[in-house]
Amino acid sequence: MLTSDTLSATLAALADPTRRAILARLAEGEATVNELARPFAISLPAVSRHLKVLQGAGLISRGREAQWRPCRLEAGALRDVDDWLGRYRRFWSGSFDKMDAYIAELKDKEKRQ
Amino acid sequence: MITDVADDELLITRTFDAPAALLFQLWSRPEHMKRWMGPASFTCPAAEIDFRPGGAYRGMIQSAEHGENRFSGVYREIVPDRKIVFTFAWDNEGPSAGRQTLVTITFEERNGKTVQTFHQKPFLTIQSRDGHVSGWTSAFDKLATYAATLAAEEHSR
Repeated sequence: MLTSDTLSATLAALADPTRRAILARLAEGEATVNELARPFAISLPAVSRHLKVLQGAGLISRGREAQWRPCRLEAGALRDVDDWLGRYRRFWSGSFDKMDAYIAELKDKEKRQ
Repeated sequence: MITDVADDELLITRTFDAPAALLFQLWSRPEHMKRWMGPASFTCPAAEIDFRPGGAYRGMIQSAEHGENRFSGVYREIVPDRKIVFTFAWDNEGPSAGRQTLVTITFEERNGKTVQTFHQKPFLTIQSRDGHVSGWTSAFDKLATYAATLAAEEHSR
């Protein structure tokens, strides 16, 4: 389990559509900066800045080979986001079950009046 | 229909056997909210709602196992019987504490039943972004003051 601040960094990193698209591409496999930049109308330095944010948030790692440094998706950080969302999903789903029961109760009361 | 939801967003679509006007009330009136807020093992003994755009709400759910959990937020948008947008955060300590999220709920009535679409996503407030800016600004201010002091000291020698 990562700390709360790491989750903040991860959520902030995910808040950008370009970075989400980069992650979606990396979900298919490793890629170099050049490969990642190709579908976007942005410069290589701009892509590099996005990669730094993703790396800082633990969402990707980069290879050591100096020239290529392929980027790789790191599942751990996303799993933390997933856990966080999972807690909310259980919270709301449970609440909506109760909402359902409460609606039935209200209708029943109405019928009896 | 559950496309275009990012990894950090939650989408729950559910059909209730009730008109949209009733569902809208279940969300907007505290006496109703207390009856359903929180999962099965929880009760919701406290709810205060200032139901208007910019108005705040707060509440508390509790269970024997998890104790008291307080939540609060601010209404951002209200369209009667159709849509409610509000911020939501847990006020307790823990990994989710103070982490703002944005909830958008829409109601669509069809033949007396209502499809409720619930969407929740992280909400990185302008306030916190500006907080960072002012944090940096004040650091720079200090730096400037320090630099000026050094310069003055240098000068007086």
